[in-house]
Amino acid sequence: MEFYDILQNLISGASIGITYGMVGLGVVFLWQSINRINFANISSAMLSAYLFYTFYTQAKLGFFFSLIFALGLVAIYGLGLRFFIYEPISRRGGARLEFVVATLMICVLWINLIIVFYGGLPKPFPPIFGESTDFVRVGKLSLPSVYLYIFLVVSILVFILHLILRKSFIGKALRATAQNKEVAQLMGINVNLTTNLSFILSTTLVGIAGILLAPIYFVSLELGGGGIGIKGFASAVMGGLIDPYGTILGGLLIGIIENSSTLFISSTYKDIISFSILVIVLLWKPSGIFNWTTR
Amino acid sequence: MKFSIKKMFLVLILILLMSQLSFAQASDKEIKIALCAPFTGLGSILGEYIKQGALLAVDEINATGGVEGAKIDLRIYDTQANPSIAANVVRRALFDDKVVAVFGPNMSSAVLGVHTLAQQRKTPMLVGATSPSFRYTNVGNDYLFRLRADDGVKVAQQVKYAVETLKIKKPGIIYGSTDYCTAALEVAKEGFDKYGIKIVAVEQMREGDKDATGQILSLKKAGFDGLIGLTHEPEAAVVVKLMRQLEIDVPIIGFSAWGVPAFTDLAGVAAINVYSVQGFNPADTDPVVVKYVDDYKKKWKSEPSDPSQCYYDGIYLIAKAIKMAGTTDGAKLAEVLTELTYDGVQGPLKCDEHHNFTNVCYISQFDGSTWKIIDILR
Repeated sequence: MEFYDILQNLISGASIGITYGMVGLGVVFLWQSINRINFANISSAMLSAYLFYTFYTQAKLGFFFSLIFALGLVAIYGLGLRFFIYEPISRRGGARLEFVVATLMICVLWINLIIVFYGGLPKPFPPIFGESTDFVRVGKLSLPSVYLYIFLVVSILVFILHLILRKSFIGKALRATAQNKEVAQLMGINVNLTTNLSFILSTTLVGIAGILLAPIYFVSLELGGGGIGIKGFASAVMGGLIDPYGTILGGLLIGIIENSSTLFISSTYKDIISFSILVIVLLWKPSGIFNWTTR
Repeated sequence: MKFSIKKMFLVLILILLMSQLSFAQASDKEIKIALCAPFTGLGSILGEYIKQGALLAVDEINATGGVEGAKIDLRIYDTQANPSIAANVVRRALFDDKVVAVFGPNMSSAVLGVHTLAQQRKTPMLVGATSPSFRYTNVGNDYLFRLRADDGVKVAQQVKYAVETLKIKKPGIIYGSTDYCTAALEVAKEGFDKYGIKIVAVEQMREGDKDATGQILSLKKAGFDGLIGLTHEPEAAVVVKLMRQLEIDVPIIGFSAWGVPAFTDLAGVAAINVYSVQGFNPADTDPVVVKYVDDYKKKWKSEPSDPSQCYYDGIYLIAKAIKMAGTTDGAKLAEVLTELTYDGVQGPLKCDEHHNFTNVCYISQFDGSTWKIIDILR
């Protein structure tokens, strides 16, 4: 096997892996701010992709307005999650487990609503990020052009997320609210605002991921659950549910393991190998192998 | 007084009898037929085509007075492409709703799990699933019929075309993990064996995977000179995009899932020059096909795709069987189905020794907008 083939395989693995990391960022954000795992996290990706598809392809609103409307609605959905799920559960004494179960149900609900309104057929995403045969070639290596956008947007998002969570007052306020709501309020933090912000940013972040992932996953139900949701969650766990960089690295590692096991061992055992490695890694470092934040 | 009570009693009985009779007549005015197809889940990609093909036939038949004056009541059930859910819905259709015939399920793995239920209730089950595993010669179910060519036929033609026309000597295969794909893989292996050709690499791609670089590079490493595609539609789109990305220029010939709009819509220009063995091609100029395509487009505002045509044909087949049998009794219908002939969209339909009504398939090549028919094999 040529060296370039191995390199190509690594790059492709990293490219698909970064998409898992993107989804994981939404999980990290909500955990960081309200200390909850949102199992409906991946639904935001599916919703934004379908909404964007509707505005762009059917309503012909153009890229900018379609993007704004799709992300705007997904942000409102985030607020909806807070007021119709998180708050009622908290008011009635429910905690993390109840929130997990409720969001899991919401995830299934969205998939079924999409089936009712759009049907089960995957839809082709308009070629905004390039045609299906548009590739960037460097020597013998090649990459679909959409991945360049993904790498670019992910880099910006991770940087912004890091600044918000670690360097800004908002980040401190979000973390303080997550740790102790009452004390945070006594310290003058507007808990209501920070909680709103957490939900809005979490769903919008994954919503952006959904639009970027649609050319790869198509406008399909797969964006609302299944493999990508689990792998996104696994990426977040590899980053200790805290570290945005670690989450992205976790995703990259999963993608690379998947592709390498296909190339060097067998495509049939790809998922068995990659998930076995994941389990071993998590048993070894339960706080996440790419978690530098809490060290 | 005595007489009038007796008279009234008789009148009452008469009224009761008449109402029973009219109830029986009313129920006879409808022929309940079940359509079990996947509208959600893995195989949901086909559910709409199946429903639209069947509904078109039902509406046409009902618009012209139904079957011997009785309207067809098509009851639609979602199998969710899941064999256990398919078993539940088929059981409901057969034993609770007491349908006259069952169309579907369309997934081979689901058919394998439920066909004995049709046998138990002695009700014809007509399916579009294509795995050779449930041929009559294998399962011996008198009530199970197939409405389109099975993969034993289609994949054999695919291999034949790959070897004899495309001159592929080192085939590489990529396949999915469902029964539809694995059964096709066995047929392909057998086919190449017959030609004395060694398959250089066999790679699997799981349903839902969005990258297959490892698999394609493994095929490349093995030195393949032609790709035999045996995956579902979304995975087929991923594979052809990767073949273009990695600039691997070998002929690509896929089986039935690679010859439908659900594949070309997702693959876009990457699908250009791909060959496929199709069960149906709307570009066929046969007048019956042209009429079907026009009517379908008029009604559904979209182009029909495989396997819509086989369920359309199937509804007409069962209607003809009911007319010939003069009854909706399942055993009699199954008997008539083995004997009747019908000229449908798929050509002349006649039940063969495998209980398949047709062996028609098309070898086509995608030109960027349509599938150009290279050969029609009947």
